[in-house]
Amino acid sequence: MSAIHLKSLVKRFGPFTALKTMDMEIADGEFMALLGPSGCGKSTTMNMIAGMEAPTEGRILFGDRDVTQVPMGQRGVGFVFQNYAIFTHMSVRQNLDYGLRMKGVDPGPKTAAMAELLGLTDLLDRPSAGLSVNILQRLAIGRSAIMEPAIFLLDEPLSNVDAAFRAVMRTELKALQRQFRQTMVYVTHDQLEAMTMADRIAVMDHGVLQQVGTPLEIYDRPANTFVASFIGSPAMNLIPGEIRGGAFTAPGVEIPGFAAADGPVTLGFRAEDAQVAASGEIQAPVYSMELLGDSSMATLQLGSKSFAAIKAAKDFKVEIGENLAVRAPARICHLFDAQTGQRLSGAKP
Amino acid sequence: MTLGFRLTLPAQVLVLFISLFPLLMQLYISLTDWSPLAGTPWPRAWEFWNTFANYTDIPGDTRLWAALGRTALVMAVCVPVEFLLGLGLGLLFVDDFPGKRLAYSLLIMPMMVVPAVAGYMFFMLFQSGGPVNDILSWFSPTPVTIAWLSDPTLALVAVMAADIWQWTPLMFLILLAGLVGVPQDQLRAATLLGASPWQRFRTIVLPRMKVIITIALAIRAIEAFKIFDTLFIMTGGGPGVATETISVYFYKITTQDLVWGYVAALALFILVALSIAAVWAMKRMAK
Repeated sequence: MSAIHLKSLVKRFGPFTALKTMDMEIADGEFMALLGPSGCGKSTTMNMIAGMEAPTEGRILFGDRDVTQVPMGQRGVGFVFQNYAIFTHMSVRQNLDYGLRMKGVDPGPKTAAMAELLGLTDLLDRPSAGLSVNILQRLAIGRSAIMEPAIFLLDEPLSNVDAAFRAVMRTELKALQRQFRQTMVYVTHDQLEAMTMADRIAVMDHGVLQQVGTPLEIYDRPANTFVASFIGSPAMNLIPGEIRGGAFTAPGVEIPGFAAADGPVTLGFRAEDAQVAASGEIQAPVYSMELLGDSSMATLQLGSKSFAAIKAAKDFKVEIGENLAVRAPARICHLFDAQTGQRLSGAKP
Repeated sequence: MTLGFRLTLPAQVLVLFISLFPLLMQLYISLTDWSPLAGTPWPRAWEFWNTFANYTDIPGDTRLWAALGRTALVMAVCVPVEFLLGLGLGLLFVDDFPGKRLAYSLLIMPMMVVPAVAGYMFFMLFQSGGPVNDILSWFSPTPVTIAWLSDPTLALVAVMAADIWQWTPLMFLILLAGLVGVPQDQLRAATLLGASPWQRFRTIVLPRMKVIITIALAIRAIEAFKIFDTLFIMTGGGPGVATETISVYFYKITTQDLVWGYVAALALFILVALSIAAVWAMKRMAK
């Protein structure tokens, strides 16, 4: 087991900067998710931790050991590829003890023990080609885990799995991490995967680390409008407007009780925090209604370009175009700088 | 008869005629002592009937066995050398390096040269006053004047050098296609599990290339067995019979000795022997 320290890490591909000065600490035994849209630099970061790519600047430390110059085969890192990269010309057993055999170590009872742990015992002498995805995933994890790496890296391991099966695999993966107690870094673009599995999430965009925190911190106190809009389903409502005399105003919106200085800001609140009521801070026409099953979602049109989603009871009925009143007091709202998108100090909660 | 069978019947008969007729004709002539100089057309070859005399002559034909042995030697030297060179070049060309496209074009050029032209090129290269000796002279205190193509051993070396020059590119092309097809993720996974470059080659690259290596070796082995054009222009099978391979031997007894009954018997013998060898080889490869 080992902590990971990324110190002023920079990666440039020619004129393109994939990662801009990243500093991050990943604690020993922690499950850290690197979350962001495609091209945000999360995979680049992971590849540098694994040693598949060399950083342009900065250092990588595993515990006290500087591994920046250590080639990838000698870092003691387990890596699970997006497509699992199972050696399909070998049996399950040959896949599992591959690393040990290459080191010239007799696998002995280790292979059987690992297979037992992962529920692969009955499949040991089967060819690995043609096994189902969840077995391949377990095999890929087992093949790395048998080497007892201090650090486990997983590169979007669930992106090839269909949606229905993903929930099962998420649960399985989290359980495996608890068994191995290794430091895990998990790259994903799916905020749900990050929220459900990770101890902490690092949200990235355009090669810049946006925010690091526990899932709840990131959900409740997004550092900027990007994080606010990337985390949660639906995304946080973001309404451009201005503060005037302690109150936020925008077309159809009038929320008093802010301590921020006067000027343009972006207001944010989550759909499930606001409530439909007889009267409220927001008064706007309904743009669309969607039934979600356990609830329904009303989208209000605020002014010409701005919308806000509000969660309502599943039997809630309203005509499109009808005016709806919504309670959205200042205590559920977040304020962001109108230009930079950064969270303002005056914001609650 | 079904309509389908009747519709394809003309084509079937044609194919049967093309493939079966020459074989039957060959079988017929192989049982006679007929020759084109005999003065009778081939259908009346029965006038020269000698039953299996042609076949019983084969074991005692020392020139034949020498030619077969020489052909086997060419195969045993050229195919492995071409394979190793092609594999080495392929491994080099899997990774990018500056000037790769140009080097690639230059490298496959020998394959495009007409074999007869290649034969003439090597004929001139290996003249005693030719470029090969000139180059060797740089490393020698006295001018080198080796008579390559007049020396029984060196002539065979020269002929094999030409074959290797011309056919390594084909081996390289086929093996490169196989190497490019090895999944990069699997190689990376193996590296991350601590496999050395040699271990990666042995456990990932080679097993994945098994089929393509078999095909490449088979193609080249068959072609090397039939080696003729380049060699014939360089040495004509000589000096004496020093570079006489099986194809050259056939050519000579057909066009110079004109013993067509014997040639037919010999050709059938080689065909049967090769078929047995091929079936055996395929069964071994299937394992």
